[in-house]
Formats: sequence, C-alpha cells, structure tokens
Amino acid sequence: MNEAALLVNFLIVGGLLFVTGMVGFLVRRNLIVMFLSAEMMLQGVSVSLIAWGRFHQDLGGQMLALFIIAIAAAEAGIALALILMLYLRSQTLDVAFWHDLREEGQPPYVDQGIPETHREEHKWPRLTPSGVRPEVDQEEQMHRSRV
Amino acid sequence: MDVSVLLLLIPALPLAASIICATLGPRVLGRYCHIPVILCLVAAFVCSFLLFLEVPRTAVPTESDRTVVYERVVPVWQWAVIRDALPQALRSDGGPVSRDLSIEISLRADAMTAMMLTMVTFISSLIAIYSSGYMHGDRGYWRFFAYLSLFVFSMTMLVSASNFLLLYVFWEAVGVCSYLLIGFWYEKPEAAAAGKKAFLVNRIGDFGFALGLFLLWTTYGTLNFHDTPVNTPGSVPVASVGADEAQPSDGDAPSATGTVRGVLSPTRIKNHDFAGGRVGLAICLLLMIGACGKSAQFPLHVWLPDAMEGPTPVSALIHAATMVTAGVYMIARCTPLLMVSPESQIVVACIGGGTALLAALIAITQYDLKRVLAYSTVSQLGYMFLGLGAGTFLGITSGMFHLFTHAFFKALLFLGAGSVMHAMGNVIDMRRFGGLRLRLPVTHATFLIGCCALAGLPPFAGFWSKDAVVASIEEKVHSLEHGEISAGGEGPAHADAGAGRSAVPSTGSANGLMANAAAIYGILFYVAMVTAFLTALYTFRAYFLTFHGPERIPEEAGHHAHESPAAMCWPLIILSIGAAVAGFALDLTYTRQPIQLFAEFLSTTPSLALGSVVGTRVPYAFHTGIAGISAAVAVAGTLLATYLYLGDSREVQWLKSTFDLENFSRWYESRQRTNWGAKPWVAAIHRGASRIGLGWLATLIGQSLLLAGFALASPLLLGNFFSPYKLSFHKFFLDELYGYIVVVPLRLAAAACYAADRWIVDGLVNACGKAALAFGSLMRSLQMGLVQFYALAMFLGVLVLIATKLMMLAG
Amino acid sequence: MSEWRDQLLQMLPGSSLLVWAVVLGGLGLWFRVALLDRPTALFSRILGLLSLVLLGFWLPRFGGWAEQVTFWLLASVAVLTAGTAISTRSPVYMAIWFALSLLATSGLFLFQNAQFIGFATITVYAGAIVVTFLFVLMLAQPEGDAPYDRVSWAWFSAPLALLAGGVLLAAMLLTFSPDGPGRPDASLGPVVPPSALATDQHHVARLGGELYSRHLIAVEVVGTVLLVAMVGAVAIVIQGKSAYVPGRQDGSRIRGRRDAPSASSGGAP
Repeated sequence: MNEAALLVNFLIVGGLLFVTGMVGFLVRRNLIVMFLSAEMMLQGVSVSLIAWGRFHQDLGGQMLALFIIAIAAAEAGIALALILMLYLRSQTLDVAFWHDLREEGQPPYVDQGIPETHREEHKWPRLTPSGVRPEVDQEEQMHRSRV
Repeated sequence: MDVSVLLLLIPALPLAASIICATLGPRVLGRYCHIPVILCLVAAFVCSFLLFLEVPRTAVPTESDRTVVYERVVPVWQWAVIRDALPQALRSDGGPVSRDLSIEISLRADAMTAMMLTMVTFISSLIAIYSSGYMHGDRGYWRFFAYLSLFVFSMTMLVSASNFLLLYVFWEAVGVCSYLLIGFWYEKPEAAAAGKKAFLVNRIGDFGFALGLFLLWTTYGTLNFHDTPVNTPGSVPVASVGADEAQPSDGDAPSATGTVRGVLSPTRIKNHDFAGGRVGLAICLLLMIGACGKSAQFPLHVWLPDAMEGPTPVSALIHAATMVTAGVYMIARCTPLLMVSPESQIVVACIGGGTALLAALIAITQYDLKRVLAYSTVSQLGYMFLGLGAGTFLGITSGMFHLFTHAFFKALLFLGAGSVMHAMGNVIDMRRFGGLRLRLPVTHATFLIGCCALAGLPPFAGFWSKDAVVASIEEKVHSLEHGEISAGGEGPAHADAGAGRSAVPSTGSANGLMANAAAIYGILFYVAMVTAFLTALYTFRAYFLTFHGPERIPEEAGHHAHESPAAMCWPLIILSIGAAVAGFALDLTYTRQPIQLFAEFLSTTPSLALGSVVGTRVPYAFHTGIAGISAAVAVAGTLLATYLYLGDSREVQWLKSTFDLENFSRWYESRQRTNWGAKPWVAAIHRGASRIGLGWLATLIGQSLLLAGFALASPLLLGNFFSPYKLSFHKFFLDELYGYIVVVPLRLAAAACYAADRWIVDGLVNACGKAALAFGSLMRSLQMGLVQFYALAMFLGVLVLIATKLMMLAG
Repeated sequence: MSEWRDQLLQMLPGSSLLVWAVVLGGLGLWFRVALLDRPTALFSRILGLLSLVLLGFWLPRFGGWAEQVTFWLLASVAVLTAGTAISTRSPVYMAIWFALSLLATSGLFLFQNAQFIGFATITVYAGAIVVTFLFVLMLAQPEGDAPYDRVSWAWFSAPLALLAGGVLLAAMLLTFSPDGPGRPDASLGPVVPPSALATDQHHVARLGGELYSRHLIAVEVVGTVLLVAMVGAVAIVIQGKSAYVPGRQDGSRIRGRRDAPSASSGGAP
C-alpha cells in the first residue's frame, strides 16, 4: 500500500467531514443540529489524526482521537443540559431566539423570516369506514411525535 | 564690616523677614507681623548706611582722569553657563570675548548703588513703621508685610545687581510685588483691575527692555556690568594684542587679556568701547521703553494713577519713592551707553519733559487727593528723565538728586494723604472734606512741608534738586549753542565722531535732530518752567482744598476724625525733616566753596567717573538767575493757588467754566433748542412757497441751512466734549484712547480667536470624534448577538490566516 | 526518501479537476442547505455525487482493487451521509444520518488498523452520544421539524459558510497538488513502511500500555473533566429548574417560538 497516497485520501475525507460539519454549524438554526454538526467536525479531525498516526507509525494520533471522544462526551453532557434548560425557558430550540449578547440599541437581527408552516396534505387511502372511531386521548395527541 | 558682607546682608534681611512673615504670619505672629519686618528693615538700613559711609572712604583715585572710581563686585555664585552661546566671538578692541553666556549672581557696591540702597531701606523702614499703624486690624496684615519686605528684597537686589539679566529678574520681581500690593484688597474690583492694568502696561515696557537686553548681548557678548575673568575653556581670545598696542596711552588700563569686558566696566568706559550708531541708538531706545514702563513715562504712564487703589503706604513706597525710580536708576546706570548716542538723550529728555507737563496739566483738575499726588509723581519722574536726558554730568547727577529728594517729600505727601484717609474713613475725594488743619495738626504741618518741597519753594528739598535739573538744561542749551562741550564726545577731538572709536557716523535724520538739539533743549527749558509753575499750583490747590476752608468731614469718618497714632506720626515727622533739609544740606553750591555733596558722592560711580561724561563736567556754581526764576515761578504758582482756593470759589468757578467752554456750549444748546419751524416768518415763507408750488424747494433750502449751521457749530460741539478743562479732567482721554486703539481690537481679535477655536478647531476635533463614533456605530451593528454570526466571523478570520500563509508560501 | 513523493506527484492530475469537484460539491451542498425549504434534494444529490466522483478521479490510488473499493465505499458513505445529515430538515433524521456517518467513519478507522478507536466511536458516539441527543430531542422538540429548521438565519450565511469551507478545503487540497505551494515533503518526518503496528495482534494492549504510561496525566485530566462535566450538567439542570425568566432586551419575540409555552413545560418530565 502506498502510505502517502493513503494519507492524502484520508486527509481529504477528514477535511470533507470537517467542512460539512462547519457548514452545518454555521447555517442551521436548531441548537441540537448545531451541536451534532460540531461533533461531525470533531469526527473529521479524528479521521485526520488517525491517518497521520498511521503514516508516522505512531499511536499518538489514536490517543488524541481517544481523548476527542472523551471530551466530546463531556461536551455533549454539558451541552445537552444547557440546551434542555434553554428550551425550558424559551420553549424553542431556535438559536436565533437568543439575542441578548447584541449591542445595546441594536434591533434584533434575523434576516430570513420563518416561512409559514405548510404541511403536505397526506393522501390517505380512502377506505370504507368500518368499526368505531377510536377515542383519542388529548394528552397523547399533544405529545405524539410527528416525526 | 566688610563690604561684601554688607552687600549680602542688605537684601538678605528683608528676604528673611518676608519668609518669616509668610510662614509664621497667619498662625503665630498674627498682629505682631510688623515686628520682624521693621527690625529687619531697620537693620538693612543700618547696613546700607554703613555701606554709604564706606564707599567714599575706600574709593581710589585713577591717574588718567583725575577722578575717583570705586567699584566693588561681590560674586555670589554662577547661576548658569551656556557654552558657545554666541555664534562667533565678537570683535572687541580690548580683550577676549567669551562666547559663553554665563549668568552670574553678583552684587556690586558703588556710589549709586549705595545711595539707592540707603534711600530705599530708609524710606521702607519708615513706611513699615507707618504701616503698622495704618494697616492695623486688616485681615491681610501678615500678607501685607510679607509682600512689603519681599518688595524691599527685590528692590535692593535690583539696585545692587551687577548684571543686566539679574537687573531684569528683579525688575520683574518688583513688578510682581507691585501687582500683588496694588491688588492687595483683591475683593475690590477696582483694585484687581488696577493691578492687572499695572502688570499689563509694565509688560509692554518690559518687552522693550528684554529686547534691549538681547541686543546688548549680541552686541557686547556679555551682560555683566563689570569685567569678568575668562576661566572657561570655551572662550576665544580675540586678537587683543594689537588692540592693546594700538592704545599705549592707556597706561593705567589693566591688561585686558584674560578678562571679558563688562558692559559698564571701567575698562570699557575708559576705552570708549561702545557700539554707536544705529545699534547704540536702538539699545538706548529699547532700554528707555523699559524705563518708561516702570517709571510711568508718557505713553505708558496710565497705570500709575490707577495703582493708587492699593494701600496708601504702598503708594508711598512703591509707586512714589522707590520702584518707579527704577527706570531712572537704570538709565542713569547706563549713562555710558547713552553718551554714545546723543539722539537717544534727546528722546529721553523729550519724553521726560513732555510727561512732566502732561501730568502736571492733568493733576490740576483732579479731585482725588492720591491721584493728584500720583500725577505729580509722574510729573516729577519726568523731571528726572529730563535731567538724565541732558546727558551732562550735572544733568545726570541732578536727576539722581531729584530722585533722592523726591523720595522724601513724595513719601511724606503720600503718607500724609494716608493719614488724612485714615481719619476720614477712607474718603479721598477732596470735595468731601476740608479745613482739616485743626483736626490733624501733625499731618497738616508735615504735609505743608512736603507741599513746599514739591512746589520747589526755597529752601526746601525740591527747590534744590529741581533747580539743579533746570540749571543743567540751561547749561546744556548754552553749551550746545557755544559748542563748548560736545553732546557725546570726550572732548573736541571726539566731537564729530560723537561716540568713541567704534562709533559709526550717525544717520542723516539723526543729524537733523542733532542740529536742532539746542532748540529742543531750549523748548524743554520753558516746559520745565511751566511745569514748575503748574506743580506749585496743583500742590497748593490740593493743600488748600484739604486743610483750609470751612471744615467738612464726611460721615464715613465717624468718630475717627482725629490725629493718627504715633506710629504714623513719627515717620511723617522724620520724613518732613528730610524733605526740609535734604536739599540744602547736600547742595552746598551756595556756600563760599561751591560743592554739590551729592554729585561729588555719585561721581565715584564708574558710569559717571569715566568716559565722555567726565568731559561735560563743569565747575559747580550756584545759578542765581535760574534759581531766582524758578523760585519766582514757584512762588507765583503758590500765590495763585492761595488766591484761588483760599478765598471764595467764584474765580475758580469762573475759570472752570471758561476753560470748559460752558458759555459756548450754552449758546449752542440754546440755538439747538430753537424750533425753527414754529417761527411765524418761517411758516409764512413756507406757506408762500407752497402756494406757488415750490414748497419742496423751501423745505430743501431750510434743511440745508440747518445742516450748514450744524456744520459750522461742530467745532463748538467738539469743544463741548474736548474743552481744555475736560481734557485735563479726563486725563486727555488717554485711557479711552488706549481702550479704543488697543483693548477693543484685542478683544475683537480674542473673540475671533475664540470663535475660530470654538467652531473650527473644536469642530474639527469633534468631527474626528463623531467620525469615530459613526464608524463605531457601523461596527456596532455587526454585534447582533447571534452566536452563529460570531462563529462565521471566526471562520472567515481563519480563512484570512490561511490565505496569508499560502501567499507567504507561494511568494 | 523522495521517491514516494515523486510517485505521488505523478499520480496526481492537475488541479482543474479539483476545482470542479469543490465547486460542484459546494453547489450541491448549497442547494441543499441554503434552500432547505425547496424540493431540490435530487438535484443536489446528483451534484454531490458528481463532485465525489471527480474527487475520486483526482485522488491518488494507494493499493489494490479490494482496498480501493472498500475505501471508496466507506468514504463516500461517510461524506454523503454527513452532507445529508446537515441538510435534513428534521433533527431526528439528522441524528440518524449522523450516526450512519459515524458508522462509516469507524469503518474507515478499522481500515486504518485502529480497531479500538473504531469500536469506541461506534459505542460512545453512535451508541451513547447520539442516543442522548435523540433523548433530548424528544424532550425538547417532540413534534418533529420546527419552522426554524426550514430556514437559515441570514441570506448570506450559507454562501459565506460554503465559501469559507470551500477555500479551506481547496487550500488543503492544493497543498497536495503538484503545483501547490506546500506539498508534503521530508519535513513531515520519516516514512516507515507498514510495520508491526499495522498487523499487530496485540494492538489494544499496546494502546492501553501507551495510554497508561505516556499519557497517564492526560488520562487523569480527561477523567476529571468528565466528572466535572457530569456534575456540571446536573448542576445546570437543577439550577435551571428554579424560576428564572430570561432577560429580554426589548420584549420582541422571534417568530417561531411556540405559542403555548406552558403546555410543554408541564409535559417535560
């Protein structure tokens, strides 16, 4: 195997992952998505590190990748706690909601308004009604995920 | 005691007193502040008197001129040295010239200094005693005495300095003390304004003086009065050998090698090593500007009358007896400089004579007692300058003699006025009091003696000194007409050169001036006579208005209207003795062996003992004719004052209305008030004219006639404002003139500068600030508080870093 | 020492291909990311694939067919799933795509003989972290995609981010390209042929030995950090429960906030 060519290949994969994560971090507004993008950047770095470790026949790269995993775990714990708290306070995960760091007197800046929610009309199959309509629990209705 | 110790003690004692008063005064000494001051001043006077006795005893005769020169210089320390201050060593005929500017603190003892020191410390001791009574109970008691002794320190240093720069420093120091003491009651707006005015007007004179010093420095390469040994390695010996060979006749001249000739040193005077021509004239005129400022001569005299806002002892000491004579002292000290430039002597004489007449004319109509005395001071200082301007030995010594006697009788008069003020509850307007001779017997008697001295009545002091001044002018006219004594040369051989060896021929205009010198001095003689008459008139006017007539006491006096305490009376008595006897005791020209003691004493001063001034020395004689004329003039003035002011006031009123052109103005006003349109014949003409359609023409003719009448009457209208009486009463409108010529344009310029500063400069600065603010607000809008925006900025920053790195790698 | 470099340089074609690849990939991502609300998924996927194919052509070959195919498969899965992850509207799908990307990445790790890291990634990342994220997501956003998931925060955010990323990537790629300024050279260190490390039977043991000898302090520190993070997370949640109303500067509200704030605060267990 050509080790140098292998290194270049892996570095490029790592760079692609890093850049993709960066774009996600910069563009998306959902706090959780942003943090996952940050994890993706870490992943790209890990790929590069391991490639370099292999290139140099050294375990240091893998060590660093290991530490990255540990630090990412710690970061994820803190970040998720923070996100949860922010959500509890503002009822939204929108990062653009948190404007308090801006200069005094500046109007809050959000360039793009949120488009009106247009839910696709699902074409449910027309079936002949049979049986009775089930009782829908209101509580369940509220918390059922529409994923 | 040694002369050097005395010389150091004389200024040191008042300085110590001042420091004691300033530090211990407000808390410890309290109302005993006068004790250290009086003790120190009296001790200083004793020292000065010892010096005064020492000087003629130790004077040594010089061989060449058969005159006695005494000069003792006490270097205290070298204050500063600037190496190679002059771009190149000046050509000098008699010795090396150092290129260094070395500023020495050195004191000198000679006759003139001894005389001035004795006079200053004597008068100031008496005035300090007087002030302890006069200022009793004042809130700034300690402050007054601290300033007073500081002033005496500065004045003694001024007259004993042996260096033009030191002279200038203490010249300014006495100015500062004067400012502080004029504005002593600074809560009073007039006093504060007067102090400011005195200070600012003096700045003009001091500016001229400073320029004169610069010119002296660049011309002579030193500012010392005396010879200084060259001990600095940077000095350049100028080819002095040839110069010495060129002057084998000066056998007694010490070898000049190794010394720098002082500006007024005996060596230089003996060798006539003075710059003549335009440079000499410029130096003299610049020094004269300085003297004019300090001694209140014509263009710059306006500050002295206002300076009377200060406490009366201050007026007596500073603004009559001592400080204002500093200019006279300085000009007398610089006699050798003036001798090479006869034109400047004429200027000095003209300024002196003109000021004497002007101030006397103003003094006649003033009602403020102290102001009358202030104008008489200006006038008498003019006399002194007149004497100095004669440029002869007799003229200079008589000017100094007048300075000496004037110090006595003017201090006496001011202190008497202060005593009157003290009794009248600080009222000084002569219209509000009168007939005080029984209420204030001591003041009355001493004031009368002072008046006699000022008026020049024989045998009081003023008569002798004024007579000497007038006689010197007469003698100058005589000598100019007969060509016996040249204006500036040592003898007939130097008459044309006029200014010693280094002189350049005078300019054409100056020659014209010199050609008319005799006529000018002749006019000045009559000016002096008229002034003497006016002096007697206004002096006795003030005396009669104050002490004679019906007794009037203002209500401000309260129960104070009695004689002053002993501390104030005794100085008056002592001064009146001085004013009475100082003249004929020192001027013995009337005796069988005519000798003027004062001039003999002064003649050991290097400035007066050597050089061309010696050639103008004539044997002493009592000029019976001139003395008779001036005595007659003085008596006439006194008699006129007696006639006018001791009798009823009708003549005075008539004179006043005559000189005020009141009749003319009344006539003019009555004409003005006439309503021409209401006259029946005017109306008839107008009616007739309008009937034939020429009403407009009649109106036009009528208006033109009125206009013409107005134009014809305008001189009278002007006379209404500028009658002789009004001119005198309003001091020839000089203050107003200065106000419109100097103050108003300055204020306008200041307003313009303020506007420029406020709107243009500040506007630019504010615009810079606003631009930063605007840019900042632009950048502020980027701080939108979005986390992602910050992250984006960070990544873009990283991008820039990477781009830079790549560029560096590629480049 | 330099023969491998020359070899490498010969293998690398010109950089025009590279530029095209980056531009195409950027365009694809842009269509996907900046126009989250537009149905352009197919087009952008085509572009992305095209870009990857171009990149694959550009990349140097390093081994035999089997190895090459394995790498290409794993790499393209990792990159494509990552791109899909950041451009998916729903956070839940995003997490799942990301987990898939993680799986592919750990496959790449295995390909590099880093077995332990590969499995640790699967276990810790995909197994723990992503699952935790999903839990939080269910707590915080139970109704699926929110309005703010459909749009970016500014019109210039996506172009600028793509520009930054593209330039970053281009700089890295240019570094390796034949006419680039900073090719890998001897200064990178000695190149040793694949030695025992690659085929070591006791790989994990050696890793552990290294970890607990050379990096012992780092291990301790990381352990402390984990502990602190755990405590901190608990503290944040406990503190945050107390009544605190976020200070708002001007009371204006961002659109997209849920209109019924009290409904789910009660619903959060």
